[in-house]
Amino acid sequence: MELRYFIIRRLLLLIPTLLGLVLLVFFLLRMFPDTYLVARFVNPKSPVPISVQYANAKAALGLNYPIFIQYFFYLKALFTGQWGTMSTSIYTGSVLKGIELYFPATIQLALFATILSIVIAIPLGTYIGARPNSVADQTGRVFSLAFYAMPVFLLGLLLQLLFGQNVIAGNPLGVLPIAGKFSFNAVGAIPPPWFDPSTGLTGPTHLPLFDALIHGDWKLAYSSFIYLILPVVTLTLSLLAAILRFIRAGMVDASNQEYVKTARSKGVPESLVIKRHVRKNALIPTVTVLGLLFAGLLGGVVVVETVFNYYGMGILALNAVINVAIYGVLGTTFVFGVTLMAANLIVDIAYAFIDPRIRY
Amino acid sequence: MVEEQQEEIKTKNNGEEYLRVENLVTRFFTSKGIVKALDGVTLAVKKGEIFGLVGESGCGKSVTATSIMDLIPDPPGRIISGSIYIDNYNILNDLPKLARINVKSETDVRVKRNKRLIKRHNFVISKIRGRKIAMIFQEPSLALNPVISIGKQISENILLHNRVEIANSIIRRESLTQEDVRNFYNEIRDTKGDFRPLVNKWTRQYAVPVAEDEIVNILKSGADSALTLKELTEVIMGKKRGNELTHITTMRDYYKREEELFELTLKLVEAESKNEVNNAAVLEQQIEYLSYSLKKDFSSFIWKRRLLGKRFEVVFEEEARRRGIELLTLVNIAEPGRVYDAYPHELSGGMQQRAMIAMAIASNPMMLIADEPTTALDVTTQAQILDLIRDLNKVTGTSVLFITHDLAVIAEMCERLGVMYAGNLVEEGPASELFNNPLHPYTTGLLSSIPRADVKSRNEIKLESIPGSVPNLISPPTGCRFHPRCKFKMDICAEKKPALVEVQKNHKVACFLYSKEVVN
Amino acid sequence: MVDTTVMQAKQLPVKKRHPKLEDYSHTFRLLLKNKLALVGMIITTFYFIIAFLDLVFPRYLGVTNASNLLSFSIPTAVTPIGPSFSHGLPGLLGYTEFYSHQYPLLTISLAAIKFDIGYSLFIVLIGAGIGTVIGAIAGFKGGYIDEILMRITDVFFSIPFLILALAFIFLLGRYIIMAVYALLIVWWPTYARLARGQALYIKSMKYVEAATASGASTVRNVFSHVLPNVLSPVFVQISLDLGSIMQLFAVLFYLGVISDPYFPELGNIISLGQNWLGAGLWWPVIIPGIFILLFTVSINLLGDGLRDVLDPKLRR
Ligand SMILES: Nc1ncnc2c1ncn2[C@@H]1O[C@H](COP(=O)(O)OP(=O)(O)OP(=O)(O)O)[C@@H](O)[C@H]1O
Ligand code: SF4
Ligand SMILES: [Mg+2]
Repeated sequence: MELRYFIIRRLLLLIPTLLGLVLLVFFLLRMFPDTYLVARFVNPKSPVPISVQYANAKAALGLNYPIFIQYFFYLKALFTGQWGTMSTSIYTGSVLKGIELYFPATIQLALFATILSIVIAIPLGTYIGARPNSVADQTGRVFSLAFYAMPVFLLGLLLQLLFGQNVIAGNPLGVLPIAGKFSFNAVGAIPPPWFDPSTGLTGPTHLPLFDALIHGDWKLAYSSFIYLILPVVTLTLSLLAAILRFIRAGMVDASNQEYVKTARSKGVPESLVIKRHVRKNALIPTVTVLGLLFAGLLGGVVVVETVFNYYGMGILALNAVINVAIYGVLGTTFVFGVTLMAANLIVDIAYAFIDPRIRY
Repeated sequence: MVEEQQEEIKTKNNGEEYLRVENLVTRFFTSKGIVKALDGVTLAVKKGEIFGLVGESGCGKSVTATSIMDLIPDPPGRIISGSIYIDNYNILNDLPKLARINVKSETDVRVKRNKRLIKRHNFVISKIRGRKIAMIFQEPSLALNPVISIGKQISENILLHNRVEIANSIIRRESLTQEDVRNFYNEIRDTKGDFRPLVNKWTRQYAVPVAEDEIVNILKSGADSALTLKELTEVIMGKKRGNELTHITTMRDYYKREEELFELTLKLVEAESKNEVNNAAVLEQQIEYLSYSLKKDFSSFIWKRRLLGKRFEVVFEEEARRRGIELLTLVNIAEPGRVYDAYPHELSGGMQQRAMIAMAIASNPMMLIADEPTTALDVTTQAQILDLIRDLNKVTGTSVLFITHDLAVIAEMCERLGVMYAGNLVEEGPASELFNNPLHPYTTGLLSSIPRADVKSRNEIKLESIPGSVPNLISPPTGCRFHPRCKFKMDICAEKKPALVEVQKNHKVACFLYSKEVVN
Repeated sequence: MVDTTVMQAKQLPVKKRHPKLEDYSHTFRLLLKNKLALVGMIITTFYFIIAFLDLVFPRYLGVTNASNLLSFSIPTAVTPIGPSFSHGLPGLLGYTEFYSHQYPLLTISLAAIKFDIGYSLFIVLIGAGIGTVIGAIAGFKGGYIDEILMRITDVFFSIPFLILALAFIFLLGRYIIMAVYALLIVWWPTYARLARGQALYIKSMKYVEAATASGASTVRNVFSHVLPNVLSPVFVQISLDLGSIMQLFAVLFYLGVISDPYFPELGNIISLGQNWLGAGLWWPVIIPGIFILLFTVSINLLGDGLRDVLDPKLRR
């Protein structure tokens, strides 16, 4: 029940952070000169004089108000879904719609990688952390350092080289596709109604794997799955490496604590000492940094989407930057921020769940 | 419970030794060199007594205690040789076989461990820790696991060591009949005076969860015997949970066989140490068979546990909870029910230490090692904890190895006393004898430095009367390790090591001043 | 990971006291005992020497001091030659090809090291400097200044660093120097938090309280008591961040955010050569990749070693 209060308090704390996030995005917006912001409302062919058009547009956009009033206008626009439009080489239209189309792919990659890394890292970290300086530990440390220090794009390219289909002639390991979300051969001659060939997107979730499963298209589902492997493995390896380093350090630290000695002095068998007394304490420092690791992971997703041509919000954001689509940049930045905030919320609740000391 | 156990103690407590440490050598192989922390420590603690261990900081008191528990961190430390008899079983029986130590130089020591034997050793020792010998530590806030509730930490001990017994009582409870309740009621009516102990015993025997107060209340209020009996039957029968009996029986049998495995392993280790080859071979075969069958059952057992979920364990936990709360009451914790569910950080230092003691004695060990249990506490709490330990010693007859810096505490608490210096026990005898008639020059110096009662020295005994300080144990002095500081140093002292010999009745000392060798 | 290291900063406040400046020669000796850290230190030093030589005596490395890759090129659009001994020193590690030009990988990678290290060092040092001073003052002053700082850093930490860097680059313009500023803006809060935590701890210590009581000003206190004590954790953080910043810098180039295709930068070289990967040619990607990886791994080894040595808990 104390946990419940903790969660409520933590939820309330979201509000200022969210307002801060909006403020930052708003700041980015207002750093642009007014002329830039109103440019798309000004029609040089119109009989109305340019200066009048300019003034009208400025008034319509609320740019004449004091800056903090504008902030509230901006807030209102954000929460009523008026996120503006963007025009880029991969997508043109409403920003909100663009995010709706491309965000699922991004969150899918991030979630798969997170879940996989945690599921692998906890038992593996427990195992190697319980045997410091053993062969398993040394190997684990070398690999985690290498993957941790490797830029994600390099890791992605390396995996493409090793496992990519038709990359190196005659490579028996080269069986995995390296670009895209699925093979167009898997779609069939007459595309199903839930598939839009012009954008290559499927409905309703915009995730080909799940859409295909929902509609019972096994061939497409299989293809989508195969195409997911390399991007997810790339992200997983880099996140796993970071988490492993923390769990290992936590295990070594926790094993030297006095309470472990107490547990042994009670006659707790060695395996239970590790499982019951060391592991939970070892996870605490790891949990505290998970939020930051997730922030890194979201950056990694942008890179992985680019390396594997896996169209998602990262590519959308990148294109918005390159094609100078201001509302696209603001919208994607905001959504990335909200995603990270949600992740941090979950992390904090998990933290309170593990460590009773912080929830009084 | 109390009277009965006190009687037991009287019969047991006839000067027999519960713990005997002989020639214990423990070393730490560090990057700076080999720390010769213990250099042949010999001491004995009798059943039911409080034995004090004193000495300057760094002389190896904690290492002695940790060695007795076999908790020396490895690496860097290892027990090199010696024997530790706990309740007449030498836990170091298989020591020589556990690891081969190859000393290339002071800073380059290779230890080759025999993993299989170490595993077996750990199995045996984990069954001895907690049930035969337990330990409480200096800093309760560090010694309690911060993320596990106090209750879970106590019940862990109970469930580890008493599960067969608990399973039996649960089975007994599930097969309780009205007839049994009537007999119980009659028995109570026949007792004169306080019937609480009887209720206590009975609820423990039948693992009737959290019912003592209820039962006592009914018994107290009951004027009409027929009505009381009816109520009593209702309450007790209401505690039955039914239909899990087969699983509990399975669990009990599984645990029972695990205990058997432990007994057999003990025998095997002993047989091996006595070189009884044939006997060992037979035992080994039995163990192999038993552990094979256990392993086979384990997977199905685990699956059943997973499928049935918590429901299975809840019955055990309920009983563990009942006993845990009983223990918390025993160590004078008010509101034991609340504390049981609390986390360590919610308790004060004194409460934490009490909980720690409750945890240590949960499986009724007959030996408690207390390594400076009060140093981290404030003065009033210190006194309370000391009283508690003394009471426990009286009530349950648990022997205590009490380690402290504080000679005043020793004088108050201990019957016998050992004085340590630089990894050796240099003097041992009854406390009063040592205080009045110290023989070893170090003890003499130590006693003249007793702090005044109003200035409690915390971490260091100031030895004004002894010049110098505890030597570096990487390269300790030869012969008697005390000789560089000793006023009475003779030639032989730097060459030979004095043995601990009995020079007066019950009074042993390791010093050439009192040995015949010198006289000759 | 692109992110790496802000995490050490999050564990606030730092409870133990870090060793002081006088102890650094002892620290150095301890560091030399740690073999992995030693390897890391040697390789890192080697990189710095290359960067330095390139800066001062560019010709010795066969590198002209040009910030344009085109100056290294041979204009022929053929499949790049792999690593071999038969093409002289520049061809030792093979060639890469883009926009119909051949580039010797060894030479351009060495040329890139200077820029990679130079910019990373610039970002980390300036970011650390700004962040540390701000954090130290805020932590020491406390009150609303501290509160505002914490809220600001909260907001910065609520957006993934890469995305934040992208947004700022978008705002400032897609030039190298703007990317540097963007990374600076992204990175200083790490140090601000680290220094703040340390400052809070120092503030609670007796001798500082005494100094404050005897009328020493905040600025004086911060410079004479807080900053010297913050130095060693910041130093560890810098050594760990150098690798991360270099990764992030390379990523920005790789993503094509910075519109200078001929800038000698390892991420850029990889991105320009990666089309050859499809043809099964590994060296245009792997060779510059190894140059990045070797640096980030060794700087991490060094950082880990430093942390172990400077950590008051582990220090002996
Ligand atoms: N893990 C270890 N590694 C190396 N040396 C150790 C280790 N543990 C103990 N020692 C050494 O063993 C010697 C005895 O230490 P011990 O802790 O037993 O002293 P003590 O008598 O309990 O002192 P105190 O009264 O301060 O608790 C010391 O010289 C110490 O340096
Ligand atoms: S043996 Fe010698 S040096 Fe040691 S205490 Fe006795 S007299 Fe002193
Ligand atoms: Mg001690």
